[in-house]
Amino acid sequence: MSEVLQSTAPSTLIGQRIPKLDAPDKAAGRTRYVHDIQLPGQLYGAILRSERVHARILRIDTSKARALPGVSAVITAADIPDQRPIGVVKDNLPLKTDRVRSLRDEIAAVAAESEELARHALTLIEVEYEDLSAVTDAADSLLPGAMLIHPPIAGAKSGDPVGLAGRDDNIAMRFDYVHGDVGQGEAESDVIVEDTFYLHYVTHCCMGVSGVIAEFDAKGNLLLYSNTQVPFLHKREFAEYLHIDPSRVRIIQPPIGGGFGSKLDIYPFEVICVYLARATGRPVRMVYTREEEFMASPTRQPVRLTLRSGCKKDGTLTFRSVHTLHDNGAYTSWGATTPVVMMQAFASLYRLPHCEYHTVAVYSNNPYAGSFRGYGNLQATFAIESHMEKMAAAIGMDPLAFRLKNAHVKGEETGQGNIFRSCGFQDCLKIAAERSDFLHKWREYTGKQKEPGRFKRGVGLAAMLHVGGGAKIYQSDGCGTIIKIDDFGHVTLITGASEIGQGSETVLAQLVCEELGLPISAVSVVNNDTEITPWDVGVHASRTTFVAGNSAIGAARKAKDKILEAAAPRFACAPEDLDMKGGGIVRKATGEMLTNLPRFIRSLHFAQQSDLVITTNYYEPPSVHFDKGYKGDISAAYSWAAQVVEVEVDLDTGAVRLVKVTGAHDVGRVLNRLGLEGQIEGGVVMGQGYALTEDLQVEGGKIRNPNFRDYKLVTAPEVPQMDISFVESMDGEGPQGAKGVGEAPAISMAAAIANAIENATGVRITSLPFTPERVYRALHGALPELPTTPKVAA
Amino acid sequence: MNHAVERYLAPTSLTQALAVLAESGGATVLAGGTDLMPQSRAGRVKFARTLLNIRRVPGMDMVEVADGKLLLGALVTISTLVDHPLVRDHAPLLSQAADHFASDQIRNAATLGGNLCNASPAGDTLTPLMALDAEIELVGLDGTGVLQSRWLPLDGFFTGPGRTQRKPNELLRGVRLPVAPDDQKVAFYKAGVRPALDISTISIAFAARRRDRAILHDVRLALGAVAPTPIRARRTEALLEGKALTAELVRVAAASAASEATPIDDVRASGWYRKELVLNMTQRILEDVGNN
Ligand SMILES: Cc1cc2nc3c(=O)[nH]c(=O)nc-3n(C[C@H](O)[C@H](O)[C@H](O)COP(=O)(O)OP(=O)(O)OC[C@H]3O[C@@H](n4cnc5c(N)ncnc54)[C@H](O)[C@@H]3O)c2cc1C
Repeated sequence: MSEVLQSTAPSTLIGQRIPKLDAPDKAAGRTRYVHDIQLPGQLYGAILRSERVHARILRIDTSKARALPGVSAVITAADIPDQRPIGVVKDNLPLKTDRVRSLRDEIAAVAAESEELARHALTLIEVEYEDLSAVTDAADSLLPGAMLIHPPIAGAKSGDPVGLAGRDDNIAMRFDYVHGDVGQGEAESDVIVEDTFYLHYVTHCCMGVSGVIAEFDAKGNLLLYSNTQVPFLHKREFAEYLHIDPSRVRIIQPPIGGGFGSKLDIYPFEVICVYLARATGRPVRMVYTREEEFMASPTRQPVRLTLRSGCKKDGTLTFRSVHTLHDNGAYTSWGATTPVVMMQAFASLYRLPHCEYHTVAVYSNNPYAGSFRGYGNLQATFAIESHMEKMAAAIGMDPLAFRLKNAHVKGEETGQGNIFRSCGFQDCLKIAAERSDFLHKWREYTGKQKEPGRFKRGVGLAAMLHVGGGAKIYQSDGCGTIIKIDDFGHVTLITGASEIGQGSETVLAQLVCEELGLPISAVSVVNNDTEITPWDVGVHASRTTFVAGNSAIGAARKAKDKILEAAAPRFACAPEDLDMKGGGIVRKATGEMLTNLPRFIRSLHFAQQSDLVITTNYYEPPSVHFDKGYKGDISAAYSWAAQVVEVEVDLDTGAVRLVKVTGAHDVGRVLNRLGLEGQIEGGVVMGQGYALTEDLQVEGGKIRNPNFRDYKLVTAPEVPQMDISFVESMDGEGPQGAKGVGEAPAISMAAAIANAIENATGVRITSLPFTPERVYRALHGALPELPTTPKVAA
Repeated sequence: MNHAVERYLAPTSLTQALAVLAESGGATVLAGGTDLMPQSRAGRVKFARTLLNIRRVPGMDMVEVADGKLLLGALVTISTLVDHPLVRDHAPLLSQAADHFASDQIRNAATLGGNLCNASPAGDTLTPLMALDAEIELVGLDGTGVLQSRWLPLDGFFTGPGRTQRKPNELLRGVRLPVAPDDQKVAFYKAGVRPALDISTISIAFAARRRDRAILHDVRLALGAVAPTPIRARRTEALLEGKALTAELVRVAAASAASEATPIDDVRASGWYRKELVLNMTQRILEDVGNN
């Protein structure tokens, strides 16, 4: 048996194509998502949202809704006197008291015997509003005398958060970063280029809509079935909002139908669902409709960005100065901290002696912006990599040579303090360029811009840098693992790392099997219950494979050590002479199979001095927190990529067809090739949607296209041909050498497409998305000039 | 789902269905539901007390050729328009247009009658059928319960966005159009943000007869999503009628088509861009016809 295993299984699982462990159930429609869960006695919750963009609430009458048979509870702010504001700066009361600040604002909630009844009850609630003037342009919210979104509240105590005290301006957050001396950089420059970019609203469009179930047991313990990406942080936060002991909060994550950053925050609906469960004493499930998902879930940050940079005639970058303005919406999510990621792109994507970056995120009555795969890096990289192209042209260098001239190599440390212990950036640029025949095509298409003809081809190159070894934002960036090997030799991998569709459980199982010499079928993964799983900071920052992977490997090594130590005396050798392979214990030197694993584990367990093989491990990446100036080596590793896209522009209509994407990604090392390809292909398409078709149209605070008919995701026929290469820079700290790549593939797509459109047509477009009409307007000089981003004094 | 609905009926004969429609309070007609359901969820359509599913009415999904006409029942699905040999042979323009329609899933549910009665200026079967001189049949019961039928030219059926000549007690039973003459030249163009699964930003349907690269006659040019209803660009048709296509004529005709379009700005595009599309794509269509 074991011999057969040995001879047919590949000698290593690393680099193999391993189907996702959750794929069969998902493909067969057997996966039970939150909206499939039906608890005994469960009620259904629904939320009444504001119909006004900005208004005072004068009166709420819930009497008719309360009287409807089948309705168990109707609550408003008046029913929850101990509400606490939620969110990263605590500016959002789950149920609004006297004022609504955006269309999605929560006014009342119902729990009823069915979803239909709950929604019907909402229509019976009467709300009287008095409209206030609205701020729906981020620049307007900075003007002196602008309407305040969170005006100061009389009687607030000092130290109260925004939600209780208000603010005397509309600034939700600001960030200021400097390294070097930009003045000196300017003086040393031969060429200086300035550009302004406008980035639009897009939203996640997870296949699974938002949902939660809240239930209290008789002892007052709260159980949440939640789609969160950060269960352990939320446990603490929920406890704070509900005035209960965190140890009384248990979070179970049913399989999550997509996250992409949308589930990093606690949202009012989740807290409201808990209020309803408390009010009724019954489990309450609240699941969004698709329309609600569009209206009331967060968006990517819309950004205005002015970038000024210089270089010398030989292509050496001298300085960069950046101002950005972010429209926060009415409340502040974690997403408001995206400038922290953006500044890394500005400061460190290329070797740069002098850099400054100033940004404000302002309150407005627009939809509330959150965090989204890439976390600001799509916006920053769109600007940088469009701008790099202009600089290259200004000094007459080709786009590849200009980038190579400034691209980091292994061992460098940036002005921000990122240390590139592994770095395949130069290789990424060269491979992507070579495999796409970039330079040749770029010259050829440049030459054809003025020729007649309806369709124009263009190629564009863009690159990106992103954290690939976690990001030390919270106190700990770590992850815990428990490994249990039972008396059938089966491994249960209990990890704090959440699976949100990205394939983490598969890669973690793979890493553990690799250590223990087992086939992938020998492992099951438990990763969704805070009562069982050890702490993890959450799924974000492309960190799971790196951090949870290292944690799992550590736990597996401990298990292996324990097994081999116990085995050594039996086989009259030292533990170092033994190894685990092919489902058993082998002699390292000869490969001779000494015993199979189940038999050996049983012999440990059912012995005189019985013992179980259960190990734990906690991995904390060797990164550091930023200092006050946002400097420091925040990640244990950094990932790189370069993408060349080829487009065809229809001059008659402005339609841009994405023909091919040639990508080269420094992933450290390929672990699960299938999963990696899926991650890259999916990210490319997400970046394509950001660049070409997706556009959440917000006008006067209202979303004009809250549905899949008018909000246009990329569909199958538009998916381009892809040629993806992996650069294996073998990171010394990474699990088996790997680095995180979850966010990387989407990041440089928009810039690459912008550069390709310019290569095709000679026209540079600095606002997204490149819908046919925008491109057509640009071709005919009919796009309005973008005003530069306002500078806000610190 | 919709609290206005008190009664759901799925009659199995046309007279039963029409009798329900004739009742006071009427009924909301449901065919494929691909317009009705999203519109009701968005709050744009209020259901009547009775929801009347007409999909079980027999005979309304027919595809037939008789007396030089192609007959299509209102329940014919968009998929059928794409695939059915009689439609492909006798109304290639309609078949082509149907192949620009939504996705397979929607095409399997969406009906021709629903597309026409929904009367969106962007409806993708409307412009080709107008260019093919289609007529539609409306049926209803008179005061004594006798079935009455009337045929109307499709051009003229639409009175505004979502509005038609159909009376509340009538059903659209079917469509008829002359089978395509063998010297017919046709072209359909649809603009959208994506090449598939998109509502037309504009659409253009062209049909004319021409032998051996000679003069055009029976010229039809229908434009979608550029006015409150789909329109025939009659001045442009007149310009082209009886002429051979020259570069100059193509240019003049394209400009004329653009001037006949009166589009608005909406969530899909600006009026300005729509006019530009009509200009450029009419020109392309006429050039292609000229070259073939
Ligand atoms: C995702 C998506 C994509 C779409 N893409 C396109 C597209 O590319 N092109 C396009 O043109 N449309 C598109 N549509 C719109 C829709 O699919 C079509 O208009 C379709 O033809 C409607 O047919 P139905 O049978 O579903 O109509 P229903 O929704 O059942 O009915 C539509 C209207 O017509 C009335 N009605 C239906 N049949 C009759 C009848 N026989 N007599 C009287 N009244 C009747 C109904 O009462 C209702 O008011 C799309 C819709 C969706 C959801």
